[in-house]
Amino acid sequence: MKRRKTGPSGVVAAPLDAHTQVLAKETGLPSVKDGRLRTYEPGDNVARFLDLLGKRISRPLAVSMTACVHCGLCAESCHYFLARPDDPTMTPVWKADQIRKIFKRHIDWTGRIAPWWVKAGSLHDDEDLNRLKNIVFGSCSACRRCTYNCPMGVDTGLLVRFARGVLTELGIVPEGVFNVSRDQWETGNQMAVSEQDYLETLEWMRDEVGAELGDDTVEIPVDKPDCEILYTINPREIKFDPRSIAHAAKIFHLVGESWTMPKWGWDQTNFGLFSGDDKLGAFVARNVYEAAERLRAKRIVISECGHGYRSTRWEGYTWADYEQTRPTESVVITLKRYLEEGRIAVNPARNAEPVTFHDSCNIARSGDIVEEPREVLRRVCADFREMYPNRRENFCCTGGGGLLSMAEYRPLRLEVGKLKADQLRATGAKLVCTMCHNCVDGLSDIIKHYKLPLRVVQVLELVANALVVRGASGT
Amino acid sequence: MPTIEIEGRQLEVNEEGFLLHPEQWTEETAKLLAKAEEGLDELTAEHWAVVKFIRDYYLEKNLAPMVRKMCQATGFPLMKIYDLFPSGPAKGACKVAGLPKPDGCV
Amino acid sequence: MSDLLRTLENEVQIGALAFMAVVYTVRLVWIFRFRVRRDRTFPAGREAAGAGYSLMNIAMPGAMESTRKRPGFYTQFVVFHLGVAAAIAGTLIIPYAPGLFESRPAVLAFQAIVAAALFMGLLRLVRRLTNPVLRSVSSPDDYFSLILLLLWFAAAVLALPNRPEEGEGPLILYFGLTAFFLVYVPFSKICHYLYYPFTRYYLGRSLGHRGAFPPAKDERARARRSGESRA
Repeated sequence: MKRRKTGPSGVVAAPLDAHTQVLAKETGLPSVKDGRLRTYEPGDNVARFLDLLGKRISRPLAVSMTACVHCGLCAESCHYFLARPDDPTMTPVWKADQIRKIFKRHIDWTGRIAPWWVKAGSLHDDEDLNRLKNIVFGSCSACRRCTYNCPMGVDTGLLVRFARGVLTELGIVPEGVFNVSRDQWETGNQMAVSEQDYLETLEWMRDEVGAELGDDTVEIPVDKPDCEILYTINPREIKFDPRSIAHAAKIFHLVGESWTMPKWGWDQTNFGLFSGDDKLGAFVARNVYEAAERLRAKRIVISECGHGYRSTRWEGYTWADYEQTRPTESVVITLKRYLEEGRIAVNPARNAEPVTFHDSCNIARSGDIVEEPREVLRRVCADFREMYPNRRENFCCTGGGGLLSMAEYRPLRLEVGKLKADQLRATGAKLVCTMCHNCVDGLSDIIKHYKLPLRVVQVLELVANALVVRGASGT
Repeated sequence: MPTIEIEGRQLEVNEEGFLLHPEQWTEETAKLLAKAEEGLDELTAEHWAVVKFIRDYYLEKNLAPMVRKMCQATGFPLMKIYDLFPSGPAKGACKVAGLPKPDGCV
Repeated sequence: MSDLLRTLENEVQIGALAFMAVVYTVRLVWIFRFRVRRDRTFPAGREAAGAGYSLMNIAMPGAMESTRKRPGFYTQFVVFHLGVAAAIAGTLIIPYAPGLFESRPAVLAFQAIVAAALFMGLLRLVRRLTNPVLRSVSSPDDYFSLILLLLWFAAAVLALPNRPEEGEGPLILYFGLTAFFLVYVPFSKICHYLYYPFTRYYLGRSLGHRGAFPPAKDERARARRSGESRA
């Protein structure tokens, strides 16, 4: 860190836009009326914030607050700072300190008696809370790359989620965060897809796969009990791009898998992870777990989604206080198993263009999956190449943390996407494969903005492309 | 608010290139958006079939239509929608049809 | 040796240590009052292995990109903290095992470590005063702790030969500052070593549960190998 000058702060000065919250209250939405979905109320929000802070802080968070020695090593691990090296407000340490100073002032010791000595500070009004909102929602994708680079083990990513959660309880959130939370509370899925649309889309994809295979026994079973697999998806797959559902259905059919999708509880994505709202997180995750229980499925399989994987496989059980009883895995693990067991045949020459793999933060850093997608890709692609750094050291796609639903932070997000653009360009690949839908959009935005000669694909698509169809039941 | 300027005309858009004032949409606007945001130099009859459907649906229901409905109404398979609008139905076709950005992580 | 120095080397140190122990105990109770949520998922790795790997972080500069890219920075850290250890050892050797410092090589060795630590600390002070990132977050405690520590190192270098008959100044300063630190440290960032086991344990246990810690053999090497493409 040899730079001496400091430039203007990149923190976006977005005002609090609560008009959809007002609408939600006026139309008497059930989740607002019974207090599950919190809205902004004028009043002493700072006092409410401090009260929640005290009540909610856990031990790992408390020690993350106290353990920071201001060494600054985290700075160069963060894509926000690396893209804006003249801007200390983009460093994890500075961002965490905006939360930490409140803890020091109100909960810790020295900061309560001599706040100026330890740079403790408080919030004074809704303006301050809004500014904090812009920092924790708009300047950080909670990718935890800083966490992995901190010598003390301070978990800034988790601190950011914590602060977001408190602000969400006060309704001091970006409009996009409120809207998606509202949709997920009210309809059980992030994009307010109706049951009818869901079922009809599944039927449509069933017909498409059947037509493609020339086989009218293709099924996408809904609410079928006692199956091996309960398959859960991202609502984006229904609303905007159902091709991934078709890919999965095709593969399950060829393998002769016993599978079903649930009528309710099919959304594996979870906005509670991004908004910091454990209540929403619990509600959504529980829908999936209970669907599996209701249908007596042997295992839960999660389609390709980063935050959905992390929420459904890991965090959701804790949020919902639900003891895990059945295996919960990513569809990529399922695919790997099929390939290893020889239940599907593939020809890698069908994916001839050079492919690179983008590790998603919620899957690699906050999860357990690193080698498995590579093993699959090496079987289904002719030219697989790594980007650097990769695996748990990869850089965030910049679309993480729910940023894709927050339009006001997009210019900053694209600006700091420069790191990612350089990384992608250096691979010389034509395709970048990722296991996360948010990464698909985050990377697509970067590819478009930086005019890169790349296309984003997912593992299911590459496997489906490479399939060698051996006959109606694939054996 | 950012504007995109194309062929001497200014269009106010949000940070993602979606029309800020959806009610101000005209066919001219569609052409401008298609060029600026999707890199489409001209819109064929097929493009217009999709755009008109989306626009009418939005005006009637105040919602973006699901891609399935787009396919049903126009008779195009899903792949065709992606061929016509590289950014896809939500970010491509809906944007050209002058809709505000759909909610959610898209 | 004057009565002042003798008391400073003994009763005052013991009193200050006792005070620190009491405050630390209260601090630990305070930490343990915050709750921990139980993980209810099937593990993908071993929590104990993850926690162990995480706790060993200070001894593994290759484990993190941040320290891997800055070996000089890491070296400064090591030397600085060895100096702290040596200077603390000195405050126990001088009153209770002074025979050790009758050996000139032993004294020189200690002085060398502390002097090196002093030098590293000065570099760090310059960095804290000039680097814009550090200036944006550093508090008076950050500056004060470091400056006072450097003063302590300087006093130690002069005091370690343990010759009160040649002038008690350095020894008084050395033991005086030690007592001050014992009382001040629990309220300052300096007690980060108390939190280190907690943050690293919780992070390591969580990531161990998820199979992320420790990384698989070769994972880190493969993550950073440059310029390679595999067909």
